[in-house]
Formats: sequence, C-alpha cells, structure tokens
Amino acid sequence: MSAILLAAVLAQAPVAPVEPGPPLPDSVRALPAPPAPPPAVLPPATHELFQRIQNRVAQVRIIERRSGTRSSIGSAFFVSGTGHAITNYHVVSDVVLHPEDYTAELVLRRGGEPVPARLLDVDVVHDLAVIRIQEPVADFFALEDREPPQGTRLFAMGNPHDLGTTIVEGTFNGLIQDSLYERIHFSGAINPGMSGGPTLTGEGRVVGVNVATMGNQLGFLVPMKHARALLARAVAEPEVEEATLLERVRQQLLDNQQLLTERLMTAALPKQPLGSYQVPGRWTPFLKCWGDTPHDPEVPYTVTNYQCSSEEDIYLSSHHRSGVVAYLHQHATSQKLGALRFSSLYSALFSQDPDLVEASREDVTNFRCETQFVDVGGLPVRAALCLRAYRRFPGLYDLVLRAATLNASTSGVDTSLTLGGFSAANARRLARRYLEVLSWTK
Amino acid sequence: MDEVIFLEVLEGDGVDARHRLERFPATVGRAYTNDVILDDPKVSAEHLRIERREDGVLVVRDAGSQNGTWRVDPWARLAEMELVSDARVAVGDTVLRFRSRDHVVADTVVAEAPAAPRERLFERGLALPVAMLALLGTSLLEAYLGNYARTDWGSLTVAVVMPLALTLLWAGGWAVASRISRRQFHYRTHTTIACLVLLGAVVLPPAITALGFGLSLGRGLGWLQHLAFLGLMGWGLFWHLRYVTRWQSGRLVRVLAVVTLVFGALSRADDLLGNEPFSTSLEFPRTLLPPSFRLSGERSVEAFFAGTEGLQEEVDALVREE
Repeated sequence: MSAILLAAVLAQAPVAPVEPGPPLPDSVRALPAPPAPPPAVLPPATHELFQRIQNRVAQVRIIERRSGTRSSIGSAFFVSGTGHAITNYHVVSDVVLHPEDYTAELVLRRGGEPVPARLLDVDVVHDLAVIRIQEPVADFFALEDREPPQGTRLFAMGNPHDLGTTIVEGTFNGLIQDSLYERIHFSGAINPGMSGGPTLTGEGRVVGVNVATMGNQLGFLVPMKHARALLARAVAEPEVEEATLLERVRQQLLDNQQLLTERLMTAALPKQPLGSYQVPGRWTPFLKCWGDTPHDPEVPYTVTNYQCSSEEDIYLSSHHRSGVVAYLHQHATSQKLGALRFSSLYSALFSQDPDLVEASREDVTNFRCETQFVDVGGLPVRAALCLRAYRRFPGLYDLVLRAATLNASTSGVDTSLTLGGFSAANARRLARRYLEVLSWTK
Repeated sequence: MDEVIFLEVLEGDGVDARHRLERFPATVGRAYTNDVILDDPKVSAEHLRIERREDGVLVVRDAGSQNGTWRVDPWARLAEMELVSDARVAVGDTVLRFRSRDHVVADTVVAEAPAAPRERLFERGLALPVAMLALLGTSLLEAYLGNYARTDWGSLTVAVVMPLALTLLWAGGWAVASRISRRQFHYRTHTTIACLVLLGAVVLPPAITALGFGLSLGRGLGWLQHLAFLGLMGWGLFWHLRYVTRWQSGRLVRVLAVVTLVFGALSRADDLLGNEPFSTSLEFPRTLLPPSFRLSGERSVEAFFAGTEGLQEEVDALVREE
C-alpha cells in the first residue's frame, strides 16, 4: 500500500507564474492577483523553474508545545497573497486532533525566524489542509485544475527526509483507475518529507499535491480541484476555531461514508462461485480482488482464498485509519479428513481475523460482538457481528462480520467483512446485503 | 510431690522420652551409671540428682556439672530446686520436664462416627490402570483430532508422555506429603486422583465448547469454563488432602471452598472489577463443529441483524466510560 509521506517543504523566491489560470471562485478572486506573468516561451529548464518558484514553497513544522520543538515536518505551498498555503491533512493532523498540544509554523525559503501558521480548514477525505500566516506573501501559485495530457513532464517539489528543498522530475499518468479516493498517478520519486509540496508542469502550474508513494517511482498526488474547493471555503469563512475542526472532520467522514454506502447499495453485488458455494464478488470497481489456492501436496485439505479490498484508506492520525471496505472468503474442503478433524481446521480458519483497520486506544473502543446461528436463504451459518465506536468522532464505527457455513461436515466457506468508519446503521445495511449473498449451489 | 514422678525429655512441644522414677535419689547424666541417660554431648557424665530432702520435699540438685543446670521459667542457673508439677529444667541442649502421677490430661478428642474403613473407588486395584488408560487414550484422541495436517508422530508421542510424566510427578509430591504427615505414601491413590483430575482437564474444555457451540452460547462460555475448572481443582485438592491431613471432611470442604473461590476471584479480578484492557481482537466463540453437533435453531437474517442493534449502545457506553 502507499506510504504516507510526512515531511518536507520548500521555500521560494518571488517569480511570476507563467500561465494565467481559469477563473477562480469569487472568494479567491477577491484576493490580490498574482504578479503578471512574463510572455510564454519554451518551457524553461528545471533550474530556471526552481529559481522561479522556490519561494512559493515552505517547510511546515509541527511544534509540540511542551518540548517547544518540532515533532514532525512536511511541505506547503502558498496560494494567495494573504498568506494562505495548502498542505496535507496528514502533515497537520496533530494540530487538528490535539490543538492544545501542537501548533504549526512555516519555515520560509527566504530565511529568518519560522512564522506561526494557523490551521483554517481541512479536507480529511482528500488529505488536504489550508493554513495561513499573518503576513502578506509576494509570490504564490494560482490554482487551476486543467489536466495536462498523459506523459507530460512534471516536477515534484519538497523536502525529502529534511534533506533540503528538492525538485524531482517525473511524468503525469492521469487519475488512478478505479480508485476510491481520487489520486493522480505521478511516475516519479516522491519521498517521505515531500508531503504537502506541489507538483508542477514545466510552466510552473500546480497539477497536484504530493501525498503518498508506493516506492519505485510510483507517486500519488491529490488533484487540484479538491484544493481549490477547500481554499474557496477557507477564504469565505476565515475565522474558524481550531477546536471546531474536529467536528468538521467528523462531518466530512460522515458525508463520505454516506456517499460510499449509497455507491455500494445501488451497485449490484455479484455472486462469485467458490467451490460449491456462492460468495460476494467484486462489489464495485474500486474494490480490487485477488484469489489463490496454495498447493501443498503434504496437506490433506485445500483452502481457496478470495479477497477484495479498496486498498485505500483515509488517514486520521499516525495510528488510525478509516474509510475502508475489505472482505475475505476462505473455502476449505477435504477428502481425507474426517468430520471432527475437518472441524479443527475450520475452527482454526474461523479463529483468524483478517488484518483489521489500524487504530489505537485513544481512537476506538474495544469490539463488542453478537454471535448466532443464522439461516441465510436455507444455508445454516454461524455468524458473528462485531462493532467498535470511534472515541473522537461520535456516530462512526468499525464493523466486522464473520460468518462460516455449517451445511456440510467436510467443506465450508468462512468469510469476513471489514467496514471501517461507517455509521452503525449503514454498516449494518451493508453487512446484511453482504451476508445475504452467501448461498450453496448443490 | 507424689512418690512416683515422671521425667520427660522434651523435643519442641512434644515428648521424646518419658522415664518413670520411683526410687530416690535418682541420677541423670551421660554416663551409664545413671538412672536416666541423656545422649547430649553438653550434658556432664553425672549431671543432676533428684532426691528427697530431710523435710520430705523432692528437689533437683546439680551434681557439679560442667555446663550447669538451668531453670527454664524464669531462666536462672540453679543449684537446687523444689520440684512442682510441670517444672522444666534445661541441661545442655536438652529440656526436661517433671510431672507427677496426678497430672490431669486434656479431654479426649471426639472422632468422626467410628465406622469400618470404607474402600473408596480410587483405592481399588483396578482404578489406577483404568484411570491412566482413560487419560492417555483421551489425550491421544484429542491430539489426533486437533491436528488437521499430516499425522505428526512427535506430537502424538508428547500427548502420551506429557500427561504420564505430569501425573507421576504430581502424585509423587502428594505422596511425600502423605508420608510426612500420615506415615504412609498412598502413592497409587494419589496417582489415580491425579489421573482423574487431568482427565477432567482434558475432557472439560472440548465438552464445554461443544455445548457452547450446540446451544450457541456467547459470552457465558468463559465463565462456565472457569467455574468448571475451579470445581475440578477443588475436587482434586479435596481428595489429595484427605490422604494428607487428618481434618474432618466438613472442615476440609469449608477451607477448600474458601481457597478455591479466592483463587477463582483473583484470577478473574480484572473482569470482576470491570477493568478491560484495550484490545483490537474480536471476542466471540470460534468453535465450528459438524452440523450434527448443532442443537439450537437458526435465526433469520432479519432477526440476527435486529439483535445486533444493542451493540451500538454497548460501544457508545464504552466511549462515555472514559
């Protein structure tokens, strides 16, 4: 899975953006216009580009109040003359979750003391945040969301591993196909510390915000349209208490899970044959499904796996993820084992839970489970439904549904569904739809 | 004192040897010329004499011993002491006590209703081999059924050797205790009891999980298992102790009930106090057995999901607990 990049930023020297952007929303347009661009010529060389825009990028430092020093770093870039800058939510998540313990500040490229920054608004689903410093900024990016053609050369900026401001070349490869949360695929090296930095075209136009990497030149960017929408909102209502951001994050998570639930409930859940059973198949395109049957001639049984997962999640804090849909089926069968020995195997499979959504003690409660024999369309099933609540975001829950068929003595399907960050009612609706697909074909 | 007195050589609170003295003077010391011989190296060859004074009173008199003769209570060196009943005198490392014939003894301890000794089931000759075979057979069967991979001869061997070694060692400990307190080993009996306890420990968990599966029991299962183990532990301790102590069974039962309940409560103290450590694991019974083991009926999907609505309140309550 993609690793979140936590760290670098670049500072910048005043240079004009080259391309005039499409009209900004009214609220953004009200800001002082960026300096007039020089006439368009051939795309400048990388060093020229760097010279031109370096002062538009800054390093974000998250300061822990008691120690008085930085606890993490990231990057940000200025998008208005009045000090607004865009970064990632995951760079400033500590400030959102513990405003009493953490503050943010920006280290500008021009040098001097770090400038305190206020967190104005966040978009947790797209991993974006707007911060603002209380001083005018001479040089900044104008935001536009025109997409360049695939293969366009792009330049990612940031401060990987706090090594200093870096510019990295790569290519634009469009939006990731069938993804749950929109991301641009950037074929270039994005490294921890470049989070929140911009990725630009040769003309100096921002295409996306650095957010994650899968290693080996596979980088991910947040498309600019989400940054533009967030900036417009932040500019329209400039005074937001930092404490209310938590409530805003909660609302965004609630909205997102509602959307997700509707997408899933309106889609038909296909039936996937597995042995003599039918199980939930690929529910929507954003789920990636894999299957395998390990072949071991030494072993007197076969277990076939079929699993689907969104392979993406929403970052809430360094140890808490949300917005996850994943499921796993295991079909076990044996010609050689007797009924009781097969039961041992089947119980062992049922005892292993798939990797759950990451969360810590301060994020969630313990699970509570309810277990029953359930008749699913004539098929007897032992089902257990487990739920845990989010501590910081009331109304959101993680649900795990485990079920194992009990119609045969030497074969069966064991299945588990994980839903991370849903309302209890929506999670139950989805779990029910999922369970009702189970059937036996003989 | 009386014409006849008893000289008692004490060892702790008990009497090691008792000598009847009728003729006086009587001599006490290490030499074989004495009436009472003490094998204490710190006692002189002729240590003390018990004789009748002119006024007819019996006295103890030191016979010029090397290390002296001492009155015990209060502690003082003595040359001569009038004998009263229960008087105690120390010579060397030995304590002597004098008692007259009219010393009053304590009341007889009332025993349980006297009955012909009843032979208990596990004292019979066949009990041990039967219990041992049952234990080894069950252990072997469990190891075989619990293994779904290829037959593993190593683990099957362990399944036989482990309970065997465990019972023999365990019974050995109890047998030594029996020997110390009752002068008899009762090794066979202890081994039989140990076999039966271990048989219970092997059979109970699968029996309870099978019952839990059949009836679709949820959370009560852990407590049922805990109680069953406490009962088994109490039963085993009771019978082991019957061959170790001379306590009456009623008293033993009361003591063991307290011990077992305290142990049970302490081992579950966290649950009883409501202290639940943070965990990301799912707590529900994982047993799956063949269809024929299922006793309780199925619910409809509708009813199952309706039944899960309470979970939301439960976890919300956990949030509020903070």
